[in-house]
Amino acid sequence: MHVRNKLGLAALGLGLGLGLSAWQTASADSSNPQHRVPRSSDGDVVIALCDGQTTLEVEGVKDPSSISREKAQAISDELMTAWRKKNPDARWDPPTRLVAQANPPRPPPASSAPVKAGGQTASSDPDEAARRAGANVQDGHTYGAFSARDEAIWKASAEQAVKEGHRVFHDAKTLGSTVAISCDMCHPDGSNTHPETYPKYQVQLGRVALLRDMINWCIENPVRGKPLAEDDPRMKAMEAYLYAQRKGVKLEYGKH
Amino acid sequence: MKAISFAGALTLATAAFAGDSGAPKLPLGLSPQLYQLTVPAPPTPAQVALGERLFNDKRLSADDSVSCATCHDPAKAFADGKPQAVGIKNQVGQRNSPTVLNALFLATQFWDGRAGTLEDQAKLPILNPIEMGMPSPEAVVAKVRAIPEYRDGFKQLNGREATYDDIASAIAAFERTALAGNSRFDRFIAGDSKALSAQEKRGWALFNGKARCNTCHAGNAISPLFSDQKFHNIGIAAHKQDFVQLATEALRIVRAGDEQQIDRLALETKFSELGRFLVTRKENDIGSFKTPTLRNIGVTGPYMHDGSLTTLWDVMDHYNKGGVPNPFLDGGMQRLGLTEPEIDELVAFMFALTSEDFQALEKKELARQRARKNNRPERDTAVAMGKKGHLGDLAPNPDIKNPAEMGLYGPIANPEK
Repeated sequence: MHVRNKLGLAALGLGLGLGLSAWQTASADSSNPQHRVPRSSDGDVVIALCDGQTTLEVEGVKDPSSISREKAQAISDELMTAWRKKNPDARWDPPTRLVAQANPPRPPPASSAPVKAGGQTASSDPDEAARRAGANVQDGHTYGAFSARDEAIWKASAEQAVKEGHRVFHDAKTLGSTVAISCDMCHPDGSNTHPETYPKYQVQLGRVALLRDMINWCIENPVRGKPLAEDDPRMKAMEAYLYAQRKGVKLEYGKH
Repeated sequence: MKAISFAGALTLATAAFAGDSGAPKLPLGLSPQLYQLTVPAPPTPAQVALGERLFNDKRLSADDSVSCATCHDPAKAFADGKPQAVGIKNQVGQRNSPTVLNALFLATQFWDGRAGTLEDQAKLPILNPIEMGMPSPEAVVAKVRAIPEYRDGFKQLNGREATYDDIASAIAAFERTALAGNSRFDRFIAGDSKALSAQEKRGWALFNGKARCNTCHAGNAISPLFSDQKFHNIGIAAHKQDFVQLATEALRIVRAGDEQQIDRLALETKFSELGRFLVTRKENDIGSFKTPTLRNIGVTGPYMHDGSLTTLWDVMDHYNKGGVPNPFLDGGMQRLGLTEPEIDELVAFMFALTSEDFQALEKKELARQRARKNNRPERDTAVAMGKKGHLGDLAPNPDIKNPAEMGLYGPIANPEK
């Protein structure tokens, strides 16, 4: 393997995206600007970094589907190392600098409470009895009478979406990558995705983008897959995962 | 004891306690998260065995004629197939027997939620004069203590003679093994895209879209019950009652928080139709009943709290015309404008929620209900389609083609494109 660095232009790290002054675009069925990946003279697989310049020819490999996850990670690391060398001052957080992690759901008190022995009696105050029953009460309001049980179910449901997003983010096949690359290879634990800064102007797209637009840009370019529909469950799950990874971080749209 | 071993096989009760972890292996489609949220501690095999014996024992009734299993028959998906429950001396109550399957996951027990736990639930039918008719908890305890197998069983279990709480706990332990998943729908979610027919898939799309079922029959991979566990007035009780007058009368009679009095009023009197109001005495709860789970709905008819609707086609007719108008009708009720093929699709989807264990029963029930398809007492097409009445326009109709494609239920292994 060798790294081909064709241009040495300084790139500005802008959140997830990397600002570029020289821009290669290719017309495809996608309306977004796309990188053109150089061809290998031997027909080897060529993998491109998201800066549109740093590429790597995988020697002797003609079929991208034969690239293992370990090998793909090594390729990704090599490309990233090359880019970091070219851009020593770019802002790129090490993966350990996660601000916050989503908490797992906590079961409501009802599930750990001992089984009631006595039950209510004729002298019980209905309102007090209702309060004691806690999770079990709908008190005259069909809508909005939500219990600890409801909240626990909602939390577990959200957590499931986050978990599914984690899976998609780490799975090149599910992402539809043609080159065995998955999101986590450059963004371990969702780092440097900065979901809290959208909407913002993205240089790569030349327009104001939402997180999903940038996810699709990455899927089209470094991951080399087809962009997902905006309501694709995989897209929704990845958004869930990325936002969950930044729990507690201030929302700051338009930040660069 | 044939019925008992049958029940054990049905619910995977035996397999369920093989592991050391405590939490049983759940059938396909059920949710470990929900199990963790709703089950205080997984029942022990000894509790379950004792509870199963009690559940099937007619000696728990006053004249040795009725057991829990009489109305919650394991062979009939833990229901009885009758409009209303029938107790000792063939006395008929006011309410339909709900299935015990997955009752461990419910937020409250009974149609009006008057019991918070399975333990509390188990105590009431035994004492109700028209169900099992035992005169008092003390009488039940005396009768059980006099039966050698129970005397020894409870001694072994708790190191003391049985109390009424112990009896209820054992029955509840057995009921916590009545798990039902593994339906065609669950296999579809697990990745078998052919598990549902095209008609059933369209039914699922309507369920989440035009038919608005999921508003109350909410279900996802975490809470796969297809029930919000809330109480809604959908107008069933309005068939026969003047709610305002009835509620005024009831307020003079109901003793606050007396579960046993509420139990009797609910099963024996016209006040039954007040539903949740008997428990909370709040005006908004008049005529409202708990949203039942839809798992195994095809094999647990007849439908509604009073068993007044015979087929799922009748149920769809009821909702299609926006329920029966009354002052306390749930705000979510509106006419649906479903066509006849759409109703067929929704019914097909509901039958797809039947557990594989009840395949034979499903076939029989489907045939029986289908034979009544042209007998539709609840159908009012003119109202459903807005040609008659004052139910106005339909709400904007979310045109959902394939809920799986939108990830509405949860992660799906192989979503169809």
